[in-house]
Amino acid sequence: MSDAAHPIKMPTRLKDRLTRRPGSNLSWVILAVVFALSVAINPAFLTWGTIRLQLVQAALIGIVAIGETLAILIGHIDLSIPWTITLSGILSADVYAAHPSAWVPFAVVIAVGVSVGLVNAFGIYLLRVHSLIWTLSVNLILQGLTLVYTNATASAPSVPPVARTLALDNWGGFPVASLVWAACAVAVILALRALPFGRHVYAVGSNELAALMSGVPTGRTYVVVYVISGLCAAFVGLMISGYASQAYLGMGDSYLLPPVAAVVIGGTRLSGGSGGYAGTISGSLSVILLQAMLVSLNISEGLRQIIFGVILLGLVFLFTRQRK
Amino acid sequence: MTGSPTPFSKIGPPSRFKQAIRHFGGAAFCGIGLFLLLVVYFYEQPLALSSFGISSLANASLALVLVAAGQTCVLLGGGLDLSIGAIVSLVNCFAATLMGDSILSVALVVLGSLLLGMLAGAVNGLLIAYGRLEPLISTFCTLFVYGGLALTIRPQPGGHVSDDFATLLTGNLGVLPYAAIVLAAMLLLVWMPIFRSRLGRFIVAVGDNSDSAYASGLPVRPVRLATYVISGLFAAVAALFLTAETTSGDASIGASYTLNSLAAAVLGGVALTGGRGSVVGAILGGIVLSLILNLLSVLGVPAFWQDLIEGCLLVLVLAAAGVQRLRIDDWTKLLGKGRS
Repeated sequence: MSDAAHPIKMPTRLKDRLTRRPGSNLSWVILAVVFALSVAINPAFLTWGTIRLQLVQAALIGIVAIGETLAILIGHIDLSIPWTITLSGILSADVYAAHPSAWVPFAVVIAVGVSVGLVNAFGIYLLRVHSLIWTLSVNLILQGLTLVYTNATASAPSVPPVARTLALDNWGGFPVASLVWAACAVAVILALRALPFGRHVYAVGSNELAALMSGVPTGRTYVVVYVISGLCAAFVGLMISGYASQAYLGMGDSYLLPPVAAVVIGGTRLSGGSGGYAGTISGSLSVILLQAMLVSLNISEGLRQIIFGVILLGLVFLFTRQRK
Repeated sequence: MTGSPTPFSKIGPPSRFKQAIRHFGGAAFCGIGLFLLLVVYFYEQPLALSSFGISSLANASLALVLVAAGQTCVLLGGGLDLSIGAIVSLVNCFAATLMGDSILSVALVVLGSLLLGMLAGAVNGLLIAYGRLEPLISTFCTLFVYGGLALTIRPQPGGHVSDDFATLLTGNLGVLPYAAIVLAAMLLLVWMPIFRSRLGRFIVAVGDNSDSAYASGLPVRPVRLATYVISGLFAAVAALFLTAETTSGDASIGASYTLNSLAAAVLGGVALTGGRGSVVGAILGGIVLSLILNLLSVLGVPAFWQDLIEGCLLVLVLAAAGVQRLRIDDWTKLLGKGRS
């Protein structure tokens, strides 16, 4: 969807500085600004209790954003996250109630995540439907599946204890959720920087045709990326059910825009091929802080949506404008 | 075709028959599907043949048909509008909140609603044509902006709609429902004049290949902007109709229209890659889709199955279009920039 050709303009200095290495510094600057603002508005943001709460919520967004970062790095997007979360949360609670064994929730998470990822990769890689449309449609199907499965009644039995452990417990003074997030983050950053998989992701994102021509297994990269994304979302579904101590319909509804915002604030380009997970970490923290700040200012749900939409639009405007 | 068989005869433009298939294949397919669906529908629900039944069917499908027509305009111009459902919600909340009972206030609100829809479309168009943003991403962002605005205007469903306004749009004149008249008016007064004029040809040219359109001196950016303004207008009319039908404002009313309008357009043979398709196809696609959903409730399928069936239909339609594209297009082109 390239626009018509226009004369090339040399970038001005400031813009050059801002966009040359997006993500490396800018996202941390944004985080610092948001944090300073939230402390200025409400000093309670400086207490360990509040910070701990924000860290847990940031972990939820951050783990989802692993998959989102990978999907955006290969030049696509994953919007099937909300109902993957809900389906996996409800299903793991249900199956656990029937077969109370410690591994059952994880088996459900893996089953849900892998199948969603495979369906996504199938449509986007093989049928070449645009990922935004395809994953939104898959999201709708998952919503339908969940509603049919639960008969549209929001009753879920008790949540598996492992979900509570993951979301609520502390380990050495730190919330388990954040530790899990940290471990995942290290793994993803290492994988992107050191493994062949990482090189494949960047290659597919910058120029898929060139990647295919130079022998990159593009199909496998798509499948791995979307399966990871599905797994992350399904895992977060389990964690959220523990966090809320129940699995309910619509528990993933607020996970459509924030992960994308976290990735984009983190400086990963929506056009793919540039960025990384390090920026997404600060992006997730910024998004959570911003949300908490807006809530503490009593800003309504509608206005919050507008603010997030405008912020995302601004960042997209700054980072991913088409060249020509 | 009795000319001498030269080696070049195979290279020329496709035959008229093939062109017609390319242009109206989707529409014809939908027409056949529509006929079969109607047969099933009337067999299951003989009452639907009465004038009331016909007008309720027409009322149930008009909004989707109008939104699909708007989406088609953007698709023909090589863009895509994910925010169209949110525009529907926004205009619906606006109209249901401000509408009074006097004729003057109703008229003003209708006019304001149409302007609001066009303004929302124009913002999309400006971002895409002049801000050089990718259509999908920027409309994904404005989806939240417009949805948030609708939610701010109307946090809870409600509002007041004048009875005269409601009956004026949803009633029927003998067997002819007013909904059909609204659709005909939109087509004759808006769509035909635009697409029979130069602007219409420009839209298709830009959607087919914006680079060569630019090289031929077409005003690519204003044309892009125009497609979004037109789609905003269609979304606004659909929203006004929904307002009359539901007699209330609801910030979530338009949510399903984004994907369903895409499905309707693709079902009617409109290409997601731009420049190909007809509005007749999209309209038939919209009617088929809403008829299927209607049929489900007639057949007694529980309401919570709807999302699943809608989603499956959507994925099937997208998959079919994808397979078709794989067959037609050069695979190196598929991996290039023109993803859709």
